Amino acid sequence: MIYLDNAATTFPKPECVYKTMDEFLREKCANPGRAGHHMSVETEQEIEKSRVTVARFLGIKTPERMIFTCNATDALNMGIKGLLSEGDHVITTRLEHNSVSRPLKGLENRGLITVTWVNNSDEGFVTADDIKSAIRSNTKLIVCTHASNVLGTIQPIKAIGEVARKSDLIFMVDAAQTMGVVSIDVEDQYIDMLAFTGHKGPFGPPGCGGLYVGERVELKAWREGGTGFEPENLLQPDSLPYKLESGTPNSVGIVGLRAGIEFCIKEGINKIKEHELKLAMRLLNVLNSDDRFEIYGSLDENRKVGIVSLNIEGLQPGDVGAILDTSFNIAVRSGMHCAPYIHREIGTFPQGMVRISPGYFNTIGEIEETIYGLKEIADRSIEDRN
Amino acid sequence: MSQSLERYSRQILLQHIGVDRQKLLSNSTVVVIGCGALGTISSSYLVRAGVGQIRIVDRDFIEESNLQRQILFDEKDISENLPKAIAAQRKLQVINHRVNVEGIVTDINYSNIEELTKDADIIIDGTDNFETRFLINDFCVKNDIPWIYAACIGSRGVVMNILPSKTPCLRCVFETMPQIGSFPTCNTAGVIGPIAGIIASFQVAEAIKILTGNDVSVNKNLIDIDVWETKFRQIDISNLKVENNCPTCKLHNYEYLKAETGIMTTFLCGKNAVQVMYRNSGNIDLRQLEKRLRAIADVSCNDFMLKFNVKDHAFTVFVDGRAIITGTADPGTAKGLYSKYLGM
Repeated sequence: MIYLDNAATTFPKPECVYKTMDEFLREKCANPGRAGHHMSVETEQEIEKSRVTVARFLGIKTPERMIFTCNATDALNMGIKGLLSEGDHVITTRLEHNSVSRPLKGLENRGLITVTWVNNSDEGFVTADDIKSAIRSNTKLIVCTHASNVLGTIQPIKAIGEVARKSDLIFMVDAAQTMGVVSIDVEDQYIDMLAFTGHKGPFGPPGCGGLYVGERVELKAWREGGTGFEPENLLQPDSLPYKLESGTPNSVGIVGLRAGIEFCIKEGINKIKEHELKLAMRLLNVLNSDDRFEIYGSLDENRKVGIVSLNIEGLQPGDVGAILDTSFNIAVRSGMHCAPYIHREIGTFPQGMVRISPGYFNTIGEIEETIYGLKEIADRSIEDRN
Repeated sequence: MSQSLERYSRQILLQHIGVDRQKLLSNSTVVVIGCGALGTISSSYLVRAGVGQIRIVDRDFIEESNLQRQILFDEKDISENLPKAIAAQRKLQVINHRVNVEGIVTDINYSNIEELTKDADIIIDGTDNFETRFLINDFCVKNDIPWIYAACIGSRGVVMNILPSKTPCLRCVFETMPQIGSFPTCNTAGVIGPIAGIIASFQVAEAIKILTGNDVSVNKNLIDIDVWETKFRQIDISNLKVENNCPTCKLHNYEYLKAETGIMTTFLCGKNAVQVMYRNSGNIDLRQLEKRLRAIADVSCNDFMLKFNVKDHAFTVFVDGRAIITGTADPGTAKGLYSKYLGM
């Protein structure tokens, strides 16, 4: 099978991830910070080492501000709902994934907050100026995706961060599509909260992710419970990471995430990005010259990650995805990718599009096979009566 | 004879039944899975015969084309848009108020079969697909519950008792499921009412024998009837149990009950649609399928996919037999539609 759905989750993982997790689960996996026995302490150490690895990778100076979460959705909910209070105004974009837009829409719907949804260009970019124009006296938060999961377009987060910092607003970035592929430095990019998932770019397993909580941010506890820290305290401890990390952590996932990030560092994220982009650009360049294919979003390789989104004239994207799977053994994603706003913007609502997202382990030969398959499908398109 | 038994007096007169065995029947619980032609006929006879409790499980709503053979339903049920299980419950309760009748509208699958068949002394097959039958077979063999397989298409029908540990099971006879999407169904090839009447009558007769402890009289063969050709065959299958390595009753794999094989459904992002596919599927011949479906719909087809519309649903079928079915977001409904038009 040719797996080209790496924007959903990377597959396969580097060998070191499988090996690390297997060894850890067999040999070290106790409950950390609760017992004091050797294995428990060892587990705690492994988690803390992972915290430091992630923190360094993202330019976070104080590792305890790097909170482990279940995934990006968990981190985004923790950040958004932990920060906002009644009467706050939030600025976001129409490029967001449901994991940003639904928490905001939910709070808005309950009359607790107001939200401004900033438009993007046809190519799939927002500008810092447009964000700046949306600032109101009660604006508390700007939340923006680093790269669109639909179009792959990278947003100017440093410029937006600067706007936020100058107006004393909190700036939150959804790095689900960029961590491990695009360099992130929370200090340099004025990021106050950064949410990511472990199972995409960082090559970790599903079920682990993280939230960076900067010093300018005070969050309400997301879930209260056992922390293994200050057990005598009847209330949730106030210090990080304990305040936001109740319950037995996904230690196996967290050490897998560390192994994945170490792999990214060893290979070099520029090399990873270059490889993925080379494959994406090959697809884009060939298909863009064929009228039967409609390509969405920018073609500028300097401003995107390796995501190619398209439709074939006269065909439902769901059918194209199923044919690639059944007749060519190629796995891609079709549909709306949980980002309904952008589909309304670019006219692909509700059927969506076919998203092809090459990963670091794909080859140019696999891309050529995919191009062949797509052209065959376009050649033999039948009347669509759906 | 007590007043309550009077209504059963004619069958009590049979030397194999009598008052004591009628009481056995009155204490028994029967589960009918699928309430189409076979299910309506068998449940009607079972309720009239005085079983204690009957549970009818079906996921479908009544359509006009059901009335030709599904004897419990009428035009009023359609105007009320009733699910089959509910309409059947209402009718059966009026036929015999002493029987505890329970109609359940749901898709039976590995996650709920245990609950839906709770306390069953016997299970009657009224389904239209191998997927569910293999599931029932796994469940019944594992839990030692007798069940009666039956199927009808065109003018032909088959029926067979499965008494776990005593007779061959369904997978001794049909080891694997036919390639999904590759065989005729009542919706594509048609069926006449009388064959269902005959086959369901056999099911009930066998059920009464089993429930009243008339083990000697229980049929051990596979019965195969063509009512148009007026052919009746009894196929001796007793050797199958000894000869083969049945995955269910010899190896106890229970792959359908453990959901290790069988149908998988998934919602498709951005559409009011469900994808139905089979684990470990081979390839089907889309052109053959096209020929079969032409009798009932306009079909378009190429090497990669086949499309047709039935009522409010658009079907897109791919070479591995998977189908995207629009017009529903309910996996059970989608499975039902697949089973009716493509076969599973």
